[in-house]
Amino acid sequence: MMVQPVGIAIERVSKSFGAMQALADIDVQVKAGEFLSLIGPSGCGKTTLLKCVAGLLPVDAGRIVIGSRSVSGPGGHEASLVFQDFALLPWATARENAEFGLLLRGAPAAERAAAARHALAKVGLAGSFEEAYPSQLSGGMQQRVGLARALAVNPQVLLMDEPFASIDEQTRRILQDDLLRLWSEERKTVVLVTHSMEEAIYLSDRVVVLSPRPGRVHRVLDVPLARPREKLDVRASGEFARLVDELWQILKKMQ
Amino acid sequence: MKRLAARGAPLAAFLALWQWAAWLPISFNFPTPWQTAVALTELLGSGALLQASATSLQSLALGFGAAITIGVPLGLLMGMVRGLGRVARVYLDLLIALPSAALIPLVILSFGINIFSSAVIIFVFSAPFITMNAYGGVRDTRPRLVEMARAFGASWGKLFTRIVLPSALPMILAGLRLGLSRAFLGLIVAELLLSPFGLGKLIMNSRSMFEHDKMFAAVLWTLILSGAALYALARAEAHLLKWRA
Repeated sequence: MMVQPVGIAIERVSKSFGAMQALADIDVQVKAGEFLSLIGPSGCGKTTLLKCVAGLLPVDAGRIVIGSRSVSGPGGHEASLVFQDFALLPWATARENAEFGLLLRGAPAAERAAAARHALAKVGLAGSFEEAYPSQLSGGMQQRVGLARALAVNPQVLLMDEPFASIDEQTRRILQDDLLRLWSEERKTVVLVTHSMEEAIYLSDRVVVLSPRPGRVHRVLDVPLARPREKLDVRASGEFARLVDELWQILKKMQ
Repeated sequence: MKRLAARGAPLAAFLALWQWAAWLPISFNFPTPWQTAVALTELLGSGALLQASATSLQSLALGFGAAITIGVPLGLLMGMVRGLGRVARVYLDLLIALPSAALIPLVILSFGINIFSSAVIIFVFSAPFITMNAYGGVRDTRPRLVEMARAFGASWGKLFTRIVLPSALPMILAGLRLGLSRAFLGLIVAELLLSPFGLGKLIMNSRSMFEHDKMFAAVLWTLILSGAALYALARAEAHLLKWRA
């Protein structure tokens, strides 16, 4: 079931909402299998850019290519989205939620159930949690279901929109480690939108800093921290602190 | 035992209040709970009550059934087609604000005096509420869920059946419950004011014969019927929305 990761080419992308220009001439190349974060002050268009990559918003100029397919609308099979507010169906159980992407793509019931179970197990929600409704789960567990739903369709790319922003700090760190472990096992390309400098540095190979109004690529920061970071206690290292501070200095000068 | 007491106490208080009201010299015709219960047993025994109920429930099924089959799809359509919703909700607001009984003369002129016209009155009483709730339910759909489904490539049909409809279901069911209580109201209003059939006829006949215990029994029976119907609907609702528990 392993899929080959693919790269994403974002080429001279511009996007306006009426008179307001959200993105101006964005050029980013995401390598196959790379973990890339988008960060910037609010209003820099990082979520807009992610939605353009997902095909949910059409671009005004430029183009976005995932693998070999030029993005022209939503529903491409290469990429799955993970949402800040989880976007779970409140009337469906964890398993039914995890199956939802496959259901929309018309997969037969047996295949859906197997893929959903497998994905839930991967995110640590096997067993009795499968039949729980979202309202019975904690925020962290709900996001695990959201992640399982994204993984169940076996995409080559994960697009994550501030996935841990509304989760408490302790749970967030556990989820970050779990995400790194999953990423190293699954070899997917990840684009993560975040407003947390620590999160961006801890998870990413590269951090793209966007400047606001209109959103432009301000800087691209390489993160040469050793992996697997979830096992190396990277958060405690001086190099980690130095990189977070470097990112902070970049963002501070932009205010 | 505690629950039984908690449920029984209000009933006992109600009966006591009724008994006390019957002792007051409001009217010598005001029957006590006991007299009413005896009359109810008699009416049930003679079959008059069941026959009247069958007639009334026929109108109710016709009118309320039509209100559901037309009202729910109309509300859903109004929610899906924004322009239509904006225009239609003005008329719906008017229909809801209008004292529905004012339409009865019009209904008599149009349909004559028969069971069908009772059904029309019931429809007019209940349908606007059913439609309004279905409309509100669609409008309450979280845009984020629509976005999520679109990201997975959902077609318009799937968006409707998998996102919009389940999102609207709680409001639709609440609308059906509201509509059902309005339908009972319409039924009795129609049968008292318009067509001499069913339970309304029984109430009116008992009144004109000065059999006030029977009149009260018929009213009580109507209350029991509507209470049972609403309870059944509430149970169905709890079953369908068990994720909210």
